Order: sequence, then C-alpha cells, then structure tokens
Amino acid sequence: MSWLLLFKNELKLQYFDMRQYWFETVLSLVVICGLFVGLFYGIKSFAYEGQEGQSLDGLMFGFLLWTFATTAYSSITKTVIDDTQKGYIEQLFIAPKSFTKLLFVKVIVDIASGFMFLILVTYLVMWLTGNWLDIHFLKFFAALLLAAPSLVGLGLIVSGFALVFKRVDTLGQMLTLALMALVALEGLPFGPITLLPFTPGVSLARDWVLNGSPLQMYDVAIVTLNSALYLFVGSAIFKHFEQVAKRKNLIGQY
Amino acid sequence: MLSVTQLSKKYADKTVLDDVSFNIAPGEIVALLGANGSGKTTTINSICQLIEYDAGDIQFGGQSIQSNRQYLSQIGAVLGGSRNINWRLTASQNAEYFAALRGHSGKAVKHNIAQLQQRLGLDKYAKLEVLKLSTGNKQKAALLSALAYSPKLLLLDEPTLGLDLDTVQELQDIIGQQSSDSGQAFLITSHDMSFIDKICQKVIVIDQGKVIFSGTIDALKNTLYSYKLRAQLANSVDEVELEKNLHDLCAGRYQLQFEQNVLRVDYETPEQVMPLLSWLHTQNICPTELSITPLQMEDAFRSLTQAAKQEEKS
Repeated sequence: MSWLLLFKNELKLQYFDMRQYWFETVLSLVVICGLFVGLFYGIKSFAYEGQEGQSLDGLMFGFLLWTFATTAYSSITKTVIDDTQKGYIEQLFIAPKSFTKLLFVKVIVDIASGFMFLILVTYLVMWLTGNWLDIHFLKFFAALLLAAPSLVGLGLIVSGFALVFKRVDTLGQMLTLALMALVALEGLPFGPITLLPFTPGVSLARDWVLNGSPLQMYDVAIVTLNSALYLFVGSAIFKHFEQVAKRKNLIGQY
Repeated sequence: MLSVTQLSKKYADKTVLDDVSFNIAPGEIVALLGANGSGKTTTINSICQLIEYDAGDIQFGGQSIQSNRQYLSQIGAVLGGSRNINWRLTASQNAEYFAALRGHSGKAVKHNIAQLQQRLGLDKYAKLEVLKLSTGNKQKAALLSALAYSPKLLLLDEPTLGLDLDTVQELQDIIGQQSSDSGQAFLITSHDMSFIDKICQKVIVIDQGKVIFSGTIDALKNTLYSYKLRAQLANSVDEVELEKNLHDLCAGRYQLQFEQNVLRVDYETPEQVMPLLSWLHTQNICPTELSITPLQMEDAFRSLTQAAKQEEKS
C-alpha cells in the first residue's frame, strides 16, 4: 500500500469534514480571531508608552506559535481520543500500515492544513488589529517544522495514556495551557529550559523570523535534538501503551 | 485461507480462549456461535490483530499474521459494539476512505461501492451523513464499508442487528453471491439463527472459550433430533398411564417430556410419532394444541451448549 494513497486519503477526509461542517470550520476561525483580538486590546490597554509596539508584536507572534503548537499537538490526541469516542478506532487499526504510521500521516496532513489556517488567521488578526507584522512565512514554517516533532512526541505520550486509561481530558487540557507557557519561554541559548519540548524551536523562530537574527547552525542542531528526543520518547511510550491495550483488549473499549 | 491453530488467551486468571482451532477455505461461509462472553469477539479481534493472544497461531494465506500485516488489506470487518465507521461522512465517503486505508482505490472500487449502495438501498440517502441515518441504515453503511473493496475474508459480528427483513434477505443474497462469484469467505457471528441456517455451510460453536462443535450445519443438526412435537392435552389425562404407554409407542431415538399436561417429543424421523398420534386418537385424548416442527438452528445450538454444560457438571 502506497504512502501517497494514505496521504491522499487523509487529505480527502479532511476536505470532506471541512466542507460538510463548514459552519464549524468558520466558527473555529471566528473564535480564534476573536480570542486574539480580545487579548490584543487587553494587552494594549496595559502596555507602556514606547514599549507598546514591541509587546504587541511579541504577543501576536506568540499567539501564532501557540495556534500552531495546539494544532500539531492535538492532531495526534484528536485521532486517538475523538476516534475512540466516535467508535471506529478499531477500524483504523485494521490496516496494512500500522496505526502509528497512520498517525504520522494524519499529523503531516493536519500540520499542512494548519499552515494554511495559520496564514489566514495571521492576516485576519493583523487586519483586525491594524498591527502589521513583517513575517517571512517560509522561514516561519521552516522553523516550526523543525520543532514540530517535539509536540508530536508530546501528543503521542498523551494518546498512549488515552488508549489505556480512556479519560485523559484533564491531562489534555492542562497540556494545552502548558503550551501557552512553552511558547513564552526562551529555550535558547542552551539551558535547563532547552530540555522542555518546543522551547528551543520557539526561540529559534522568534530570533530568526521576528528579530531577523542570522540562523545559527548550533541552534538548529539543538532544536533538531529536542525534536528527535521527544519524538523518540513519545513513540516508545505510545508503542508500550498500544501493546498494553492489545494485551488487555482495550482498543476501542470506551 | 485462514487457519486458526490452538489459539489461547487469558485475562488475568480468566481463560477466554482455550485451544481454539478451525480453518476457513476461500468461498466458505462459516458461523461462529456461542453465548455472550463465550469468546467469539476475542477470536475475531485476534484475527484482526486488535488483541494479542497468548498462545497458538493464526495463519492467513499460509503465513503467520504475526510476521505479516499485509493480510489486513484483505480483511473486511463489521465489529460488534462498535460504530465501525465515521458518522460525520456519508456512507460512500466512508466506504472509499476505509477501502483506501486498506490499500484499495480507483474506478473498480468506486463502481463496486455504487453497486452495493444500490443493493443495500443506501442510494436514496447518498448525500446524507451517516449520523442522519436510521439505525438499520447505519448498519448497512458499515456493511458497505466492509464489502467495498471485495476483501478475501469478511468478519461480520452481528451483521443483521437492526436490519429489517427485506434487508436481511438482501444481505443473505449479497453474501451468497460474493462467496460463490468472488470466492470471498465469511466468518459470521449472529444471534439470528434463521439467518445462519440459511447462509452458512459450516458452524463453529464456542462455549467458555472452547470449541464444542465444528462441522456442517447438517452435521450439527444430525447430532440432535430433527423434529419436535408439542401437544397440549386436556387436564383429565392420567399422567402415569400416559407415560407408561408413550415409551412403548415411540420407536427409534427420541426424547420425551411430559409436564403440566404438555407433551414434548424430540425425534428423528416423521413416522416415529405415528403410533403415538394413533394411540391418542384411540384413547380419545384430544390435544387442544398440536404442532410438529422441524428442528431450528436455535434449538440445535441451545441443546448443544446445554449438553456441554451438563457434561461439565457431571
């Protein structure tokens, strides 16, 4: 079975879902823009004179990073938790390509569509707030792609728990909030914070894309290692829980 | 095509499968019967690799499934207690999605889906998402997804659940046709014994994780009685006198029960009960109700599991 067919299939699924539930798609766009505009004017009312521009640029950039982080992290957990609740996760396991491979395909498709969503959100919030950022999207996405595997690893850990313990909503909600903190932290230069998932990627994106600093290969290596570490740990934990679920007949038993 | 050998599975201390073995050949329609909790679903889940079994082996096309996931592209499954499909999509979108997930796409698949959709009566609801369909139509949509890519083996757990009589008949026809024309094999669990009786060539009966019968439906029926007579007699009948005479009147192999003026005789050949009926006539004993019916699959299955339980007790 070809990977291409798998990608095409997941893209089609996403297209059908967005088209048939267009109201839900539009609503999520409105909610996310509304949330940001609220935050933007809230911060603006507190910001010091002279520092305002810098704070608002940082806020907008942080918001974009958080939107992406949530997409990347939840693309994994959504499949395991939602599809279990929807009652057809067993059918996803009955496939020649393993479930983990299917999850990776879903993540890549979600991230690709997430990028398009992000461009739309970016221009919408810039237009709504009148605060125009000079974002080089290619650089921005390159930095995010490099850092995304750490979030996928995080998603795999939560999904592994969900496969066995089923109700992990609280853990999921906590992690969504924790992502807000992660995108605010500085993971570069190397320090204890660097060991947290996604933080070096956030710093790389901020320095390289927002502040226009030159790209340091040492920083790229740190981001790559952070991503590889979390992806490896996440995959190992998910595999372990998948085996436990298969041993105890827990797949789909929601 | 499918060979299950000495399959065993335990959850903690409870044995759910104990040395289960059976084979399914291409084109064969096999029923997997058993009471709730007997191990049917565990067997099906093992074939689908949804659970890890402790011992034994499952081979598909001569290869152990442990070392080859590719066989899953030739499996179609409607699993019991599961929605099986994405309710946010239409029936045909689901069918296309799951076919592609198992490596099948293209015009042939689409053509097959369109044909099956019509046969299952789902074409009228082609534009509706599955969540807007009735229970029966949801079940049909799950069947459509399993049949869409003509897999070599179909595992159907309670496929008639929620279906009306016409659709059950249509499903019978589809299964029969797919089996004879395309050589597709079916492993079916169902509580609808008349459905099993009509379409299955082979029966495997599982009780408490053990196979207690494996053979043809006729062989299953032959291990038991072929007919049953039930007569409601008038209250004035002398029970002692009746029982004394009845044993002299019935020839061959039979089983007799007389309780609260209801006479029940299970027997093998139609002529066996003629002397009994004649005797009732000469004695002027008129039944207020009288019925002679051929043995149904349901009775055969029930007798078999009861016999296994009695054997275990003794």
